[in-house]
Amino acid sequence: MTSWPRQRPAAGWLPRTAALLLAIIACTAGAAAAGTPASAAARPVGDCTTTSGVVVVVDFGHWGGPLLRSCGTTPTTSYALLNQGGWQTAGTEHDGPGFICRIGYAGYHGGTLYPTPAQQSCVLTPPASAYWSFWYASRGQHAWSYSQAGAMSYDPRPGSVELWSFGSTSAGGTAGSAVPAFSPGSVRALNASPASAATTSPASTRAAAAATSPPAANSPSSRTRKPAQAAARATPPRTPAVRDAPPAAAIAQVSHGSPVPALVALLVVLLLAAAGITAAARRPRRER
Amino acid sequence: MSAVTGQALPAARRRHPAASGGGRLPRALHPVAWWIWACALATAASRTSNPLLLLLIFAVVGVVVTARRTDAPWARGYRFYLGMALAVIAIRILFRVVFESGVSPGDLIVFRLPSIPTPAWYAGVQIGGPVSLQAILSATLDGARLACLLCCVGAANTLANPKRALRVLPGALYELGVAVTVALSVAPQLVESVQRVRRARRLRGAGGRGLRALRAIAIPVLHDSLERSLRLAAGMDSRGYGRTGSATAASRRLTATLMLAGLAGLCIGAYGLLDTTVPRAAGLGGFAAGSALCVAGLALGGRRVSRSRYRPDPWRWPEWAVVGCGLATAVALCLNAGYNPAALNPGLSPLQWPSLPLLPAAAILVAALAALAAPPPPTAIGAGR
Repeated sequence: MTSWPRQRPAAGWLPRTAALLLAIIACTAGAAAAGTPASAAARPVGDCTTTSGVVVVVDFGHWGGPLLRSCGTTPTTSYALLNQGGWQTAGTEHDGPGFICRIGYAGYHGGTLYPTPAQQSCVLTPPASAYWSFWYASRGQHAWSYSQAGAMSYDPRPGSVELWSFGSTSAGGTAGSAVPAFSPGSVRALNASPASAATTSPASTRAAAAATSPPAANSPSSRTRKPAQAAARATPPRTPAVRDAPPAAAIAQVSHGSPVPALVALLVVLLLAAAGITAAARRPRRER
Repeated sequence: MSAVTGQALPAARRRHPAASGGGRLPRALHPVAWWIWACALATAASRTSNPLLLLLIFAVVGVVVTARRTDAPWARGYRFYLGMALAVIAIRILFRVVFESGVSPGDLIVFRLPSIPTPAWYAGVQIGGPVSLQAILSATLDGARLACLLCCVGAANTLANPKRALRVLPGALYELGVAVTVALSVAPQLVESVQRVRRARRLRGAGGRGLRALRAIAIPVLHDSLERSLRLAAGMDSRGYGRTGSATAASRRLTATLMLAGLAGLCIGAYGLLDTTVPRAAGLGGFAAGSALCVAGLALGGRRVSRSRYRPDPWRWPEWAVVGCGLATAVALCLNAGYNPAALNPGLSPLQWPSLPLLPAAAILVAALAALAAPPPPTAIGAGR
């Protein structure tokens, strides 16, 4: 095509495309180089301070569980924080792993991912009435912000705290059962320097105090349906049952199953296909 | 409308004694039975993303279509539905590959596309990047489910005579039925007309292709279709189509108002039922009110149309059996009892072989019995036209 004399302008088309491709590849290489440290290391909760690390809080209150609190280093993504140190997430079939559909922790009910497959099939995007909503509060911020970015595209800043809460929200995250009823200050790291042992951190003393409080205090029925801003204005009305989640071994992977059911199904399909071909062959030909 | 949709010619039955397998007389199954069967299978398909169950549904639909379709023009379109289904799967995979949906730590990376960095305010969409096997597989399954629904609808269109299906329309909508029937018969008639003109040209020895041949074919075909439509109009006029009968202007206006209000109520009710923020009672109430208004409008409008039925479609045990086969499948997959509900939607991380839950698989195979329950289709040329 380029040999046609009339299409002289096409001669410049090839180098331009090549340049564009090169630019794209260069960008990719740069992005890949910058994107490598996306997986941060999990740390004991005491290692998160007011200025370093990210505290991740996951609220299992919907299932009568506690607020689990763990710590990770920066730079990272919220997705990486939830997939290390015993934490694991599952996405949906429709949206991929980037949509957090289930969350589980190795130290909580043997690493069961919640919601369970019986409660949510995680095939399509879950409804706004029952999903893991994502909140964060940067350093010095006294109210939760409903994240406008997904777990994979949000990079938390050092000293911030993140909350995953299951329930319903409105489109802007102003109302619903998943709106946190406690302020970020009640779960964020308060120690200025890393505490080597969790026994000395103020967080763990709070956790010990919370362990004595009845677990029903965190049940969804006792939640007040207040907007995030209103919840943050007042001091926390009650102490949430916070429990520290130290880095743990990854959740044990289930077996890969056996290929026998697939072979049986293929055999049945082949039989059906043979029946169909026989039926088609016995069909009288159209006379034309 | 029914006069043009005759059944198999008796001569055709005599010509193909072998086609009446098992001594059963060939006849067309009631179209509504095929539609219920196909919709039930589509419901079952929408409940699962298990590749084995989806494969079984594909196979069952294919077997029943090959065994029980007629030779009518609409019955030869199943391959187009299959092509469309494949296109759906391909598009789904393409979108998942191009618009990166993220990679989790355990994923197998198949290949990497050059990724285009997007600004922070546009972080929701990522173009390019690593493509994992899990992403491709889940896109395939997602597409396969949609493709399965398409094939079910295609099977209903292939198996059921669309003109006879229109006879179950309420009397008030008969103008609509007439228009759809006429529109439906345009394409097959054009094809037949073109074939006739081409055969006539070949017999006269006027071969050739290109613009001249096109003109030589197009003019007679246009002439033919014009003549045919004039004949159809005259025939319909002589049979009383288009008469408003005893309806007064006021009653027609009342019918239209009832229908419009009913449709609006149905829309609001459907929205209310699907939106979780609307109280359930409001949604149900709107839906019920809309349905009641629609039924009233149809009943009022139907009073002015008196129709007689020419050779009504019988509803005998094969119809019941086909409907039962389909509904059994749908019920088994919606019940979530007797098997592990998680087996309907197996996860892909970690990558594992899908399991084959026995009850749903057996229920899907029950749907294949429709091929045995339905009588053999009439196989005459022009049958069912």
